Amino acid sequence: MKKKKKGNEDLPTQSQSLKELVDQLKQSKDFKEYELKGKTKGVLYYFETLVDPKTLNKLILQSLKSHSFRSLEDIEGTIPVEGTSITGDISTIRDKVMLGNVAIVLEDSDKDILLVPAPSEETRKVGIPEIEFSVVGPKEAFIESLDTNINLVRKRLPLPQFTVKEMKVGKITKTRVAVLYIDGIANEENVNTVIQRLSDIEFDQINDSSYISQMLADNSHSPFPQILDTERPDRVTGSLVEGKVAIMVDGSPHALTCPTTIVEFFSATDDYLSPWPVASIFRLIRLFAVFFSVLSTPLYVAILTYHHEMIPDDLLPTIISSRADIPFPPIIEVILLELAIELLREAGARLPTKVGQTIGIVGGIVIGTAAVDAGLTSNVLLIVVAISALASFTTPIYQISNTIRLIRFPFLLGAQMWGLVGISMVMVFFIGHLIKLTSIGRPFLAPLYPLRLRDLKDAYIRLSFNRQTKRPMQTRTNDPLRFNSERATERRDIDE
Amino acid sequence: MNNSSTQIPENLLISSTMVFFLIHSMQVGVGILGFEKYIASEAGYNAWISIIITGAGLHLILWIIYRILEAVDGDIVSVHTFVYGKYIGGGMNFLFSLYYLLLCVTILRTFIEVIQTWIFPQLPVWLFGLIFILLIYYYVEGGFRVITGACVAGVILGLPLLLFKLYPIQYGNVSNVYPIVDHSILELLASAKGSIFGFLGIGLLFVYYPFIKNKNDSKKWAHFGVFYTIITYLVTAIVAFIYYSEEQIHQIIWATISLWKIINVSFIERFEYIGISLWVFVVIPNLCLCLWAASRVTKRIFHIKQRYVLWIYSIILYVAIFFLEDRRAIDRLNNFTSEVGLYFLMYIPVLYLLVVIIKKVRNRHEA
Repeated sequence: MKKKKKGNEDLPTQSQSLKELVDQLKQSKDFKEYELKGKTKGVLYYFETLVDPKTLNKLILQSLKSHSFRSLEDIEGTIPVEGTSITGDISTIRDKVMLGNVAIVLEDSDKDILLVPAPSEETRKVGIPEIEFSVVGPKEAFIESLDTNINLVRKRLPLPQFTVKEMKVGKITKTRVAVLYIDGIANEENVNTVIQRLSDIEFDQINDSSYISQMLADNSHSPFPQILDTERPDRVTGSLVEGKVAIMVDGSPHALTCPTTIVEFFSATDDYLSPWPVASIFRLIRLFAVFFSVLSTPLYVAILTYHHEMIPDDLLPTIISSRADIPFPPIIEVILLELAIELLREAGARLPTKVGQTIGIVGGIVIGTAAVDAGLTSNVLLIVVAISALASFTTPIYQISNTIRLIRFPFLLGAQMWGLVGISMVMVFFIGHLIKLTSIGRPFLAPLYPLRLRDLKDAYIRLSFNRQTKRPMQTRTNDPLRFNSERATERRDIDE
Repeated sequence: MNNSSTQIPENLLISSTMVFFLIHSMQVGVGILGFEKYIASEAGYNAWISIIITGAGLHLILWIIYRILEAVDGDIVSVHTFVYGKYIGGGMNFLFSLYYLLLCVTILRTFIEVIQTWIFPQLPVWLFGLIFILLIYYYVEGGFRVITGACVAGVILGLPLLLFKLYPIQYGNVSNVYPIVDHSILELLASAKGSIFGFLGIGLLFVYYPFIKNKNDSKKWAHFGVFYTIITYLVTAIVAFIYYSEEQIHQIIWATISLWKIINVSFIERFEYIGISLWVFVVIPNLCLCLWAASRVTKRIFHIKQRYVLWIYSIILYVAIFFLEDRRAIDRLNNFTSEVGLYFLMYIPVLYLLVVIIKKVRNRHEA
C-alpha cells in the first residue's frame, strides 16, 4: 500500500466535496441515495450493483431502523459488520464507495461519514484446471477472485512465515496485486525486486496477470516469457516452498511465479506425481518434442533444398515419389502447410469449443488430404508438419507453446538461406539470447548455464524426492536445506 | 601497479569450472578440421607423437602463464605495464590486441572457406560474413559471461562429433600408428610446430584471468582443459592416420571433414554437412573470445568504451573478410598467423623471466 499515492494520480474530473461527489455519481443509474425515515434521520449512498442486498437489508437497514442513533460512533458500535470506518476524507470515501461500501450520513453530523463494507462477491466456483490438467493430481484451479486464490494457497501452507503483501497497480483499474512468499525461505532480494518493479509500473489498466508478467520481464522484447504463469494452486505452493515469489492479480485466474528457468516451462505437475524414472522419461520426451517441433520442418527445407545427398538411397524413392508432382520448392510447400496449421490453431482458439473441434477435424482431415491429392504438398511433409504441431502441444505451460510456434519461422528462414548452416546460425542466436535472458535478475538458462549440478536433479530429469535434499540454487534461497537428508537417505545393510 | 580497473564486479565473474570450457573451446576450432596434413608433412605417421610433445609444451606454457598472472595479479595489460612501463607496455598491449584481431580474421575467413569448399561454392561472402559478424557482435555485446556460455554450448555440442570420429576406424588399418619411431626428434618437433595454430587460444587466458572467481582453483580446470584438447587432437589424428595411407594424408586438405563423409547410418548419409553445420557452434565461441579480448585490451590501453572498439573491430573484421578472396591468400594468412602465434607462445617464457627479474629488482630497491 505504500505506493498508493502514485497509483492514485487523479483523473481530470475529480470531485472535491461530498456534494460534488454525489452529483457526479448520480449520473449513473445504479447509484442510489436512500433516505432513512425511521427513528434515525440520515441518508445512505451506495451502488446497488456493487452492494450485496443481503448485507444491506438484513444487517445495515435492520439495525438502523430498529434503534435511534445520535452519532455515527453509535451506529458503528451496533451494526454487525466488520471493517467499518468513519472518515471525512473525500478520496477515501470515493475509493471505498467504488469498492461496494455503503456510505451513511447522519442529518446533524454533516462532515463525517460512516463507511460500511457490503460488497457483493460475484465469482464462479473453484473449477478443474483446464490448461494444466493432471490426471491424478489435485483438481483445483485458480479463479478470478484474489481472496479465493490466496485462500487456496494458504490452506496448503499452514505456517506463519507465509507472507502476503498487497498493493494497487494501474492508474484507472487500481487492480489489487498480491505478492506471496515464505519469509525465511525466499531471498529478500527477489522479494524486493518484485515489489520494487510492481510499484514502478506506470500503466492505466491491469486486466490480467499476463499484463504484470510482461511488465515485470527483464527483457520485454524477448519472445520468451520470463515469468511462469500457472493456474494450479499446488504448483504455486511448490514454487513458494522452493523459495520463489508468487504474484497474484485480482481478476486473473493465473498466478505468476519467479524467478524461473526455461526448463521449468516444460515441467508438468504430473512429473511429481509418478515415479521418478517414469517422470524423467516423460520430461525428456517433452523436451525432445520441443526440438522436434521447432526443427523438423526447417530440416526438411534445408535437406531437400540444399543437401539432398544426405538422404540415403533406400529413403530417396519414398521422398522422390511423394514430391514428384509438387510444383513448388520445399520452402513454399512448408510455408503453405505451416500457415494452414497456424490458421487452424488460431481459428480453433477463437471459436466456441464445439465449433472449434469441428473446425479442427475439417481442417486436419479434409484440407490435409485434399492438399496432398491436389498435388500441392507431399504427404511426407504432411506427416512431418502434423507431428510437429502435435509435439508443440505437449508443453504444459500455454505461454511457452506460443513462443515455440513463433520461433519456428526464423529457423525456416535460416534453412532456406543457408541450409543446415543457416539453422545452426539461428540456433546460435537463440542460445545467445537465452544465455542473456534473466528472470528477476536470475539466469534463465540455469541449471545448464551457469552449470549447477545440484539443480540438474530436477531439470531435464527428476530424481527421487529423497535425493532432492536442497532447494534450487536458482532462487538463492535463505534456507537451502529442504529436510534432514541423512535420515531420508538412510539405508539398511543387507539382511539387517 | 594500478589494479583498480582490473577489479571485476562480483556478478560478472565466472566460476573456476568454466575455465575448462574456455580453454578447451578456444583450442578446438577450424584448425582441427585440417591439421593432419600439416603435422604429417614432416613426421608422417609418427606425427601423433608430436601432438603429445606439443601437449606437454602446452601444459608448461599454461603453468608459466599462471605464474606470470599470479605475480602481477591482473591481465596482460597490467603485466606489460608492470614490465615495460606505460608507453612501451602500451605498444606491446596494442600488438597483442591486433594479434587477437588477426586470430579472429583467420578463424572466420577459414571457416567461410570451409563452407565454400564443402557446402556452398556460390556463398555470398558479403552477406554471410555480415550476418556472422552480427551474431558475434550480439554475443560480445552481452559481455564475458555470455561468451563463456557460448563456450559451454560449443563444447557440449562438439562432443557427439568427437564420438562420431571413431566410426571410420572399422575401415582402417590400425598398424599405421604402431609406435615405431622412424623419424628424428627434429622432424617430430617440426611436425609439432605444424599443429600450433590450433593451440594458440591458450593465450587468451591473459585477458580473461581477472574474470575468474576462484583463481587458484581454476588452475586444475585449465590443465584439465588442455589435457582434453590434446586427447581430442590425438584421437582425431590417430583416426585419420588409421584410415588414410601416408600418400593420401599429404593430399587431403580437410582430413577430418573427409572422414565425416564416411559415416552413414540408415537415415542419413554425408555426415559432413551436419558436422560443418554443428561446427558453427564450435567456431562462434572462438570468434567471440578473440574479438572480445581484442576490444577489451584496447579498452584497457586507451580507456575508451569497449563498445566503440567493438564497432571498429567488427568493421575491420568485415572488411578483411571481404578482401581475402582466393584460397592461396587464405593459406598465406593461416601460415602467417601460425608463425605469429608461434612467436607469441615463445614470448611467454621470456615475459615470465622479465617479470621475475623486475620483481626481484624492485623488491631490492624497496628494501
